[in-house]
Amino acid sequence: MDHTSDPNALRYVIDPQRLDLVEEFRKSPLGVHSAELRKMLAKMRWGKAQGRLVLIVLEAGKAWRLSRIPERRGDPMPFVDDRIFTSLSEAEWHVFKIRWQAMTGQTLPPEYQGDL
Amino acid sequence: MIYKTNEYLGYPDRISVPAGETVKFQLSSRRDAVKVEVLRLRCGDVDVNGPGFKYDLMDSAIDGVHACLDQEIRPGSCAVIEHGGTLVPSGNGWSFGCYIYPTHIADNGRGIMSNWCETTGQGYALELDSEGRPVLRLGSTCLTLDVKVRERVWSFISATLDLAKKTARLSLIVPADGTRPAAAHAKSFALPDVLPLDSGLDFLIAAHHLDPANRYTAHFDGKIEAPRIVSSSLEAEALRVLDCQPRTGAAAPGLVAFWDFGDGITTLDIKDLSANCLHGRLHQLPRRGVTGFFWSGAVHDFRLAPREYAAIHFHSDDIYDCQWQTTFTLDVPADWRTGVYALRLTPAGDEPEPDCESYVTFFVTPGKQTKRADLVVVLSVATYLAYANSALRLYQVHFETLMEHVLWLPLDDVYMQEHPQIGQSTYDSHVDGSGRAYSSWLRPVLSMRPRGYWFNMINDTHILDWLEEKGIAYDVITDVELDREGARALRPYRAMMTPTHAEYYSFNMMNGIMDYQNGGGRHISMGGNAFYWRCGFHPAAPAALEVRRGMAGTRTWESEPGEVHLAGTGEPGALWRHSGFAPQKLVGTGFSAMINDTCTYYVRTPDSEDPRAAFIFEGTGRHERFGDFGFRYGGAVGSEIDRLDYDLGTPRHALLIATSEGLGAGALPTPEEFRTMVDGLDGTQNALVRADMVFFETGNGGAVFASGSITFGMSLGHNNYDNNISTITLNVVKRFLDPEPFVLPALT
Repeated sequence: MDHTSDPNALRYVIDPQRLDLVEEFRKSPLGVHSAELRKMLAKMRWGKAQGRLVLIVLEAGKAWRLSRIPERRGDPMPFVDDRIFTSLSEAEWHVFKIRWQAMTGQTLPPEYQGDL
Repeated sequence: MIYKTNEYLGYPDRISVPAGETVKFQLSSRRDAVKVEVLRLRCGDVDVNGPGFKYDLMDSAIDGVHACLDQEIRPGSCAVIEHGGTLVPSGNGWSFGCYIYPTHIADNGRGIMSNWCETTGQGYALELDSEGRPVLRLGSTCLTLDVKVRERVWSFISATLDLAKKTARLSLIVPADGTRPAAAHAKSFALPDVLPLDSGLDFLIAAHHLDPANRYTAHFDGKIEAPRIVSSSLEAEALRVLDCQPRTGAAAPGLVAFWDFGDGITTLDIKDLSANCLHGRLHQLPRRGVTGFFWSGAVHDFRLAPREYAAIHFHSDDIYDCQWQTTFTLDVPADWRTGVYALRLTPAGDEPEPDCESYVTFFVTPGKQTKRADLVVVLSVATYLAYANSALRLYQVHFETLMEHVLWLPLDDVYMQEHPQIGQSTYDSHVDGSGRAYSSWLRPVLSMRPRGYWFNMINDTHILDWLEEKGIAYDVITDVELDREGARALRPYRAMMTPTHAEYYSFNMMNGIMDYQNGGGRHISMGGNAFYWRCGFHPAAPAALEVRRGMAGTRTWESEPGEVHLAGTGEPGALWRHSGFAPQKLVGTGFSAMINDTCTYYVRTPDSEDPRAAFIFEGTGRHERFGDFGFRYGGAVGSEIDRLDYDLGTPRHALLIATSEGLGAGALPTPEEFRTMVDGLDGTQNALVRADMVFFETGNGGAVFASGSITFGMSLGHNNYDNNISTITLNVVKRFLDPEPFVLPALT
């Protein structure tokens, strides 16, 4: 196992109090981010592929739907929900919220729960 | 519109076909008919924001509706031995066993030595069960040793039958290794009176039969070494240390078979050392040239110590050849232009289905009658194969971090997840975690099609589109011809062009280009990360590219210690840089960095004012930004970039005519470029993280131009092909096609 294929290699622990980073991400999901936010995003994005949220391209550059990498190769890859994203920013924000909840165990304040 | 791109799948029997010759297509679909058209692609990129999908529809004899079979892909490698009944146990004793090194214990049972058939329940087998316990199958009888083998630990597994006494003994010996002491386990069993030990089928190593129709299943993941069979009752340890190498003329009593996998490593044949000559053949290209139980670490080249490499690494997901029936044959007319061609496959019914469209790509090269152009584009089939069906987006730990966004998976990726039997690329790993060393074109390659993922081949068609737009006559060949014919493939041409990503190069390809350049040929290297990996087409499986990842380089897996040499050719398969032939020596530039964030542009250097380079910049300004634009990537400096380095072989007289500017923190050097990990390595700080544009003359009137960036070609079409990247490329092409010899400067 090397530094980039070890799913547990990242040491960073997400601090659920850091709503300032949530705010920064919400303002610019695809933008250039601060060093601290980059660390948090790296932690969210790192890890074993199985179970990872991904966007299925329905139409290149136009439409995406959320799915998850299954546990086993060969298993079907169903959509997670019915939502069709037409904005990558909106999709990034949606995935960010799901991961925040999963990785901190805490619910975001109401003002951060909606769409962008 | 959401396109269904995999309703029809197929592959050609030959990836490139000279005009006037024939190519067979193997198609498969759940639909029983297919409508076929043949396209010659100008630009294969369906993205409407680029040049657009451009092609000519060709009239051909295969146009129209064809019947189509639903054909199966059965991955999984094994060895197959025809034995005429010799390997059916008989007499009072029958002992058989081998060394095993399992790499993936899961799912179902795994065959090790077997003629057993799942459908008929006949035959015998030595296997592992789904927990890794040794199993002896005798017809419908299943005898299990209640101890588990461990993954990535060598052990010796064996069984002995005494058909007279109706007993069997199953054994596992784990030899000592490091601090671990030796261990031995065995169990005896009573046998039923009647045992159907003769399935009437071939003997298999690393699988058993699914049915009598030569379909195999229960493929073993891991290494197997030295399977042997003796017609006597031997203790397991005696069988393990058996002197299996008969001396000439010396009796080897009771030896029925002994397969020495260290013999013929570069072939697909396995050799039996016994007097019975029960030689066999490998199926679906397992990996040879791998370290065996006796590997000492003293040598890393199997050619020097084949006895230390007497193992084969089998995989349940090895795939070389789908072996589909041919659907139809195309006689390519002698007057067809060379180029990138594709079958367009659509439903045959009366109801139009505009959302259903599949492709099979192939390349038409010059035929015997073809009048050659002065320019040839050498398409990078080795690179297309290395990336064929890449599933990095599906299974790599770090890939989302690398991309810095939630991964977008085209529907082809979803297909690959749901149909892994199609096989992945040499960037991916087998189910046992070992890297895939082989990729072949005798299977559907989803990533080498219009509407497929654009990296490599689709990007290359942007360059063909630009040549068409500028009215430059050219031929297309592929690096497969370069591999097979060497420099002869280039000799008819005054100038050659390599496209966006000529990354994978064989010995013949590298030497062929060097010979061509030194013989007065002109080479326009349009891409980046070029001439990087030393790879080879397997001589015994010529549709397969073989890659070993060495111990450095930008790579998603690493070769196991001692396993860097290509099994097919014996060459050290790592970076060309580590064979003393860095790309800088060939074209002046070599891999520097990956760009994970913003693409940028070039600026001219003082060298660019040298009169030798004046022709390149005609019609442009001295202080322009070159390529501060581009389709998809946004800049001519991007994706993967190359730099000049005299120490690595850039000719001393080479001119550094332009270099990149403005690279960011996402420009990160390739690992072989640094020796110690320190701050100061990224593009904002490190001057060696850059793309260089280089020009130099070669002997006999030749010359080389290298752009140093993968995204260079995607800037050509910007502003309706009117831009400074297009201008300088046209200047280079025109001068390189001019017969006036280039003159080597006085060399000091």
